Parts: sequence; structure tokens; C-alpha cells
Amino acid sequence: MWTWRRLVTCVAMLAVLPLAISVWAQRGSRGAARSSVSRSSSANVNRNVSRDVNANRSVNRDVDRNVNANRSVNRNIDVDRDIDVDVDRRYGVGNGCCYHPVARTAAAVTTAAVIGSMVYSLPSSCSEVSVDGVTYQQCGSTWYQPQFSGSSVTYIVVNPPR
Amino acid sequence: MKLQAVALVALLVVACNGHGSPQENETAPAPSQAAGTAGVAEPSVPAAPASAASGAAERDASAIAALDRMGTYLRGLTTFQIRGETSRDEVLDDGQSVEFGAVVDMIVQRPNRIRAEVTSDRKQRLYFGDGKTFSVWARRMNYYATIPAPPTLRELADTLADKYDLELPLVDLFYWGERKSLDEIRGASDIGPSQIDGVTCEHYAFRQEGADWQVWIQQGDYPLPRKLVIRTTTDDARPQYTATLAWNLAPSYDDTAFTFVPPKDAKRITLVEAPAPAPATTPH
Repeated sequence: MWTWRRLVTCVAMLAVLPLAISVWAQRGSRGAARSSVSRSSSANVNRNVSRDVNANRSVNRDVDRNVNANRSVNRNIDVDRDIDVDVDRRYGVGNGCCYHPVARTAAAVTTAAVIGSMVYSLPSSCSEVSVDGVTYQQCGSTWYQPQFSGSSVTYIVVNPPR
Repeated sequence: MKLQAVALVALLVVACNGHGSPQENETAPAPSQAAGTAGVAEPSVPAAPASAASGAAERDASAIAALDRMGTYLRGLTTFQIRGETSRDEVLDDGQSVEFGAVVDMIVQRPNRIRAEVTSDRKQRLYFGDGKTFSVWARRMNYYATIPAPPTLRELADTLADKYDLELPLVDLFYWGERKSLDEIRGASDIGPSQIDGVTCEHYAFRQEGADWQVWIQQGDYPLPRKLVIRTTTDDARPQYTATLAWNLAPSYDDTAFTFVPPKDAKRITLVEAPAPAPATTPH
């Protein structure tokens, strides 16, 4: 027998389900196999990077694996992925961003915009801005500066340059 | 992850059917985040000599000699091109390994020129060293960084690793043949003949601190490494890296291949000096 209480519980849980999955789906990496014997490289040790974002199993199916050196029009490369490890995350065309709605939500929730903190990926609605020759990503009131950390592109939270 | 989703769905069913209160089920498996997030545990792993377990490790002199010969041969190559197919395990927080593949295309002209392209499902990178500068370009994101280059590729490899935490692809090629890399080997065995891509090789296995590794060296007058397997022994999951190499010892290329000319809409960003993360930067 359905009661109001059960119905409410049920609906409430339904609402929570996608969020719960998106949170649980985040799995970071603790490190990779070393790729050389001559150097016990620190490059293999995981950096302390916030690994937010990413979870969506079914939202956006727009997969374009065939990236063209001649700058193909479709830059939206969304491969279903549950693992949040070092990966090119932003293929945006100038005005930034690019990821799944669910992932964006997760990012918005989990990204701490502490100055100096570093992330592999950006939250939603960012735009690329150049100030005095320096490239930034402005995401709302938070400014990120892209940089190479080893071979990975990471984003560091900086004070607004203007 | 799948299990957790199933558990959640089960939970829903329970809630909607009204058997029992959902309360008691809320102890469903928590995300296994806590265990692994400490990360960076690797350096603190005690260094146990490989020989500790089974008495003295075999150190077959002929295997060491073969490695030395390969290294000497490699150092004598002025130009070469390699196409390598690699796979690398990545260990997730909970200890599960997943494998990622990549293709490396590399042209080297000693002493100081290199062009390498690494393409994986996840990343695309081009590296250019023209003797004066070194550049890395993230093609899809169209970011690049350029730094001054030291005079040799060997020094470049050192600088990149030590100062910038960046490992050149197939970097062993620039180190093999040095005394130091031989001295580090604790165990060495000749496993026997083996075919790699139709080429007869001799298969060797080595042990050193932090890694058990194997190399397949082409038999005959061209002792080239045709395959390399490295198993990291400092992580319980023992992740593995594999590279299979196809060689071209007479590549044709243009001198401009080694010089990076940024596309006009490419953005220059910094290559951060290790240890990252750097402190906050304030442009003004």
C-alpha cells in the first residue's frame, strides 16, 4: 500500500539518485605505471590536484574521436568516462566550455575556488580572456590561468587580473 | 560503481514498495574515496632489495652485456624515427588498474633535435626540440609552452624531468648505454629467443629498485630494443607499461620538423616548474 510518506520518500530518492551516482562515479587515480627504467621519474607520482567533475554515463553522446589537425568544426569530444584522471578536458572554442550538464553541476558543487588551487578541468560557462598577453579562463567570478604541469594542462585559480 | 548504482536502485525499490524503512538501508557502501586520496605514497615505500626474497638475485653477465651493447649501439645512431605503441596502467584510488594506450611518433637527430607526437584517447601532445628551444603543444586545446633547451637531448631529458616534471616519450632511449643504468640492475636473466613483429629478438628480464622490466633486443647486427615492459613494484597493484617499437634508421624529414611555429590562434602558457602546484600568481 502506498502512503504519502512512502511516496514522498520515493520521489525524494529519485531526485537524489542522479546526484549520488555522479558523486560516486568520481574515481581519482593514485598513480600510473612508470614509463622508464632510467629515471624513477616523479612524473609518475600523482600530483595533488582536485579531481572534480565527471560522472555522466548517458547524458551527452556526442562523440567525435576523429579530431582533425585542420581544426574540425566539431570540437565536442565527450567520451563516456567515469574516471577522472589526467586528461584534456577542455576543447572549447574560444568561449570555453564544453562538458556535460551533470558534470557541470558536480563541478559547481565541488570546485573550491581557493586562490592557488589547481584543477584539471573547468566548471561551466567559462570564457577565454586575454589580459596583457596572458591567457585566462573566466568562469563567473573565478579566474583560472591555464598552465602545463608536466605534459598536463591544469588550471590554477588566480586573483582577477582586472 | 555499478554495484553502487545497483544498490541505489534496490534502495529505491525498497522505498517505493514500502518494505522496511529506507533508513536502515542507508549504510549502503560509501564511496571508497578516503583510502586512496592520500596519494603520493610512492616515495615512502621502503626500498627492499630485489634479492631479499630469494637469496642473491641472478645477475647474468651476458644479459648485462647485451643491454650494454644495445645502449652503445643506440648512442651511435645519429638519426632515427620510431613509431611506438604504448599501454600504461593507471591505478585508481581503490587499487583497480585500468589501461590506456597511446601512439608515439618520434624523430630524433642527435645531438639536440627531437620531434615527438603522442596521441592517446585522452591527450594529444607534440614536443619540439630544435637545439635552442623546447616546446610542448597541446594541439586540441591549442596551448603551448616554450623553454630554452640545453645542448643535448640527454640534458634536455634531465631538465624536463627534474625541473618541469615532464618525461619525454620513450626517454630510456636517451639514457641507455650509460654506466649508471647498468649499475642499478640487481637481477638480469636471458629468457630466450622471441619474435616481435616478425623480427627475431632475444628476450631479457631485469630487476632494479622499484621496477621489474623486460626488453626484447633484435638479434644480429642491429641490436635495437623492439619491445619494453616495465612493471612498477612500488605500488601494490603493480601497474605495467608496455611499448612496442618500430624503427626507421633512415628517416626522411625536413629540418623545420623540429621547430615549433605556433598557429596564429595558439595561446602561450607557462610550463610550471616542479614542484607543482605553484603558489598563486597575481599578474598585477
